[in-house]
Formats: sequence, C-alpha cells, structure tokens
Amino acid sequence: MTQLNAADLSTRELNSRLRDLVARDDAEIHVENPGARHNLAVAMLKSGKIRFRGSVGYYCGGLADGISIEIDGSAGWGLAESMLGGTFRVHGNAGNGAAAAIRGGTVVIEGDAAARLGVSMKGGTVIVAGDCGYMAGFMGQKGVLVVCGNAGDAFADSLYATECYVGGEIKSLGTDAVASEVTDEEAAALESLLAANLAPELRALKPQARRFRKVVAGRKLWNFDKREWKIWREAL
Amino acid sequence: MCGIAGFFRKTADHPEVGGVALNMLNALACRGPDSAGVALYGSPQPGRMVVRVTLGEHPDARIPACIHAAVESFGASDFSEVGAYLRFTIAEQSPGAKLNGLIKAIETVSPEVEVVSVGRALEVVKQVGSPANLEATFSVSAFVGSHALGHTRLSTESKVDLSHSQPFWGHGYPDLAIVHNGHITNYHQLRRRYEQRGVRFYTENDSEVVAIYLAECLEQGSGLLGAFEAMMKELDGSFSCLAATASEMGFIKDPFALKPLVFTETDAFVAVATEEVAIRAALPGNYAVSEPQARAARVWTRPA
Repeated sequence: MTQLNAADLSTRELNSRLRDLVARDDAEIHVENPGARHNLAVAMLKSGKIRFRGSVGYYCGGLADGISIEIDGSAGWGLAESMLGGTFRVHGNAGNGAAAAIRGGTVVIEGDAAARLGVSMKGGTVIVAGDCGYMAGFMGQKGVLVVCGNAGDAFADSLYATECYVGGEIKSLGTDAVASEVTDEEAAALESLLAANLAPELRALKPQARRFRKVVAGRKLWNFDKREWKIWREAL
Repeated sequence: MCGIAGFFRKTADHPEVGGVALNMLNALACRGPDSAGVALYGSPQPGRMVVRVTLGEHPDARIPACIHAAVESFGASDFSEVGAYLRFTIAEQSPGAKLNGLIKAIETVSPEVEVVSVGRALEVVKQVGSPANLEATFSVSAFVGSHALGHTRLSTESKVDLSHSQPFWGHGYPDLAIVHNGHITNYHQLRRRYEQRGVRFYTENDSEVVAIYLAECLEQGSGLLGAFEAMMKELDGSFSCLAATASEMGFIKDPFALKPLVFTETDAFVAVATEEVAIRAALPGNYAVSEPQARAARVWTRPA
C-alpha cells in the first residue's frame, strides 16, 4: 500500500502520481487529506484501488474505466461522471449529478444523494442507501438505479429503460414515469444486488426487496404523436 | 459562479468568526475574483447601533465632517475611518421611518456616499478584489462575534464596484444581511413593484432584491423561516442564498437545485458553503457534510 498526502501535492501532481502508481499495479493507494478538493482521480483508465481518507470535491473519478475508488467522507458534484467501468463507494453523501451519464461500473452511496442522481445513465449500477433529490434517473437509458430511501420530485422523468427501484416514498414521479410493484423475480435479483453491495448492518436498516417499487417508462414520450401534444407540452 | 459561506457558532469555540469566514472565502476565491465581502455579527453594545458608510471611490476629504454633522442628532459617536468606510455608532433606532431618516441624512451629503449596513450586531465589509485584499485592508480575521456570512463575486450581469458587491444589507431593516449565488429571473418585475412603492434600489444587481424582499417579510413579522417560505413562492430563478439577522442564520435552495450549497452541523457550529472545500479549509475535525435538497430551507436561532 502506498500513502500520498494530498496536502503536499497540487491536483495535477496528485493525479499524475495516482496514474503512475496504478500503472505499476500498486495494490492500494491511500490519499490522506483530500480536503474536498476538485477533480481528484479523474480519467483513471486502469484497474487499481484508491481510498480517499476524507471528502472529495467536484468530478471525483470522472471518466473512470476500471478503477475502484472508496471515499471516507462525502463527494461533491459529478461523482464518477461518464464512467465506463469501475466501482465507487462513498461512505458519506454525494452531491448533485452523481453517476451522471455512466455507461458501466457500480456506484454505491451509503448516505444521501443530492439532485440529478444517475441522469442519462447508459449502463452500470447505482445504489443509494439513503435518499435522493430532484430529477434522479432523468432520461435513463440502461442500467440499474436503486434508492433505498426516499426519492425527490420528478423521479425518473422522461425515462427510457433504466431499471429504477425506490424503497421509500417517491415525492413525485417525473413525466411519463410509472410506478409498479416488483415481481418475485425482480425482488430476488434486487435482494442479491443489495446484499452484494451494502454491508449487512446497513442492509438490515433498509426495506426488504419486495417492498421496493419499480419505476418504468410509460413510453408515451418514446415516439412523437401530435395527438398527445398535451403530454409533450408538459414534458418540455 | 460566485461563492457564498456562512458560519454560526453554538458554543464558546471559534470566537473569531471573521477568521473562519475569511478562511472559507479564501477557499472560494477562485469562484469569484471580482469582489469579496463579509457580514459580521459582533456583540451588541446596549442601546447602540453600528453604522457603516462607504465614502465612494474618490472621497472628498470634507465628506466625513459633513457626515458627522448630519448624524449628530442621532446620538452618533465612536467615529473611525478604515479604507473607504466610515464607521460610527448611534443610539438604537426602531426600524422603518427613523432608520430611513438616518439613511437620508447621510446619503444627501454626497451621491458617492452609501450606507452599507446598520444594526446592533451587523457590520458589512466588502470591496472589489480578492478575500486576501479584504483582509489586508480591514483585518477581517480578528473580528470576534457570533456568526458571519461571506461572498466572493463573479459578476455576470451588473457592474463591478463596491455597491454591487455582496453581502447586501436589507436596506432599512437593521441587522439583516444576505448573500446570494444565482439569478433572480423575475427581478425586473419585482423591482418595478417595489419602485412603485418608493423603495430605492442602489444597484442593478438582481441579488439586491433578495435583501429587499426578505427585509419586507421580516418587517411584517414573518420571521426568517417564514420569509424563506414566501421567497420560494415569489422569487423565480436559481438561488442558493444565505441570510442572517442578529440572532439567526439560515439558507434556502431553489426548487430546481440549480446552484451548489453544502452544510454541516455539529454540537459546536453550523457551517454552510458553496463548496465543501471551504468548510474543510476553515474547520478541521470529523463531521459529515451534505448537500441540501431542492426547496430546502433551514434556520438556526441563537437562544435569547
């Protein structure tokens, strides 16, 4: 294991050191004093493990492919944005736009997520143990989005085909989003996903898989039809 | 952009609220290079109010003496001059008519002169430039008090000068100050409405209307949280906004969560900032930080 002290390094130096260490197959890198700084560990394109011993700022791990990042504090805006593959675990809360436009990989947020969680997902898995804010799952195309707590306004607005599950209350559904019960098969898959990604003591605090609601697209916005102008007017 | 910050003490720790606010602002300096400012809340002197007046960019040497004369009838004393500011205290005035009389008396001295803040506890200090320059001119870090707001400004729609800088005092309402990051899109409509009632706007900055709006709500007795709830309905646009009075500090986030804001609350303090980096830079320790959801409004009140 290698330890780096972020307080001694500029962001550019720190990211370059991280990239070199990962390229040399260093098993695990601990970054002390990240101080909620922005742009940490962006564009890490190899497999490896990085643990931030504190909070990170905006865009942590953006464009990642293959890296595993653990954050002992919270994360700012745009966590793991546009990730292709890799795993993220945030022990605290995440800011606006976490896991936006990811194409693969897994993001686990043990606290709450702010607005625009997992918007425009094109793949991958996002699990939030706590609540999520406004417009989560907007225009999601593929992948799985699970919120164990409550969801904010306009959940899954203009959804395509991301599988969305919410364990708590949904403040309001977005345009064209439809809530339904989970099937036994879906509940079993959800249960194993949660068991694999949340520590047992955290999992035990959250609702059982069959209590979750699934949110799917009503498909009214998938094709434009002049006769449904009213729905479009509201959606736009 | 713009950076906003707020710090509210709950215990005897961190008495230098000016220092905490300055450290937060230094971390947010890159978000707003145009100007920097703080609203500091000190210990009120019984029966007195602090007045801070800016003398303008090229003050005439005779102006301070003219202001002395103009405010004599308000029981003014303790005059001091630092940077572009004249500071003095007056006998406590009730809000509304009496304070408007004071402002008018001071501002008729010269068109360059502007009352920047009046309050039992409040002192607003702001100027063009960085937080480091603010510290160099006013030694903000030495200020001891109960809570503070701070702002670093990136001007997007109105000019860069001291008047247009933040925090804004709730003109006419003692001790109310606000900092705002965002845009108020129905600003012109609201401004027309207020101007028709005779309210004077000092700037073209849309954030000023937030201060005026909240001042009116407080005058009507709604309390800061009630004022925030009304603001959520009547002000459009994007806002992450902090406001404080002599005994309260709070934040409000717009319905679309368009602007960043994070906060933390411990047994010792509440800290709110545009970016977590500001809180971590100013306050070491082990605490959790979170981003409030859209439409969130919180107010912390100091026990009387």
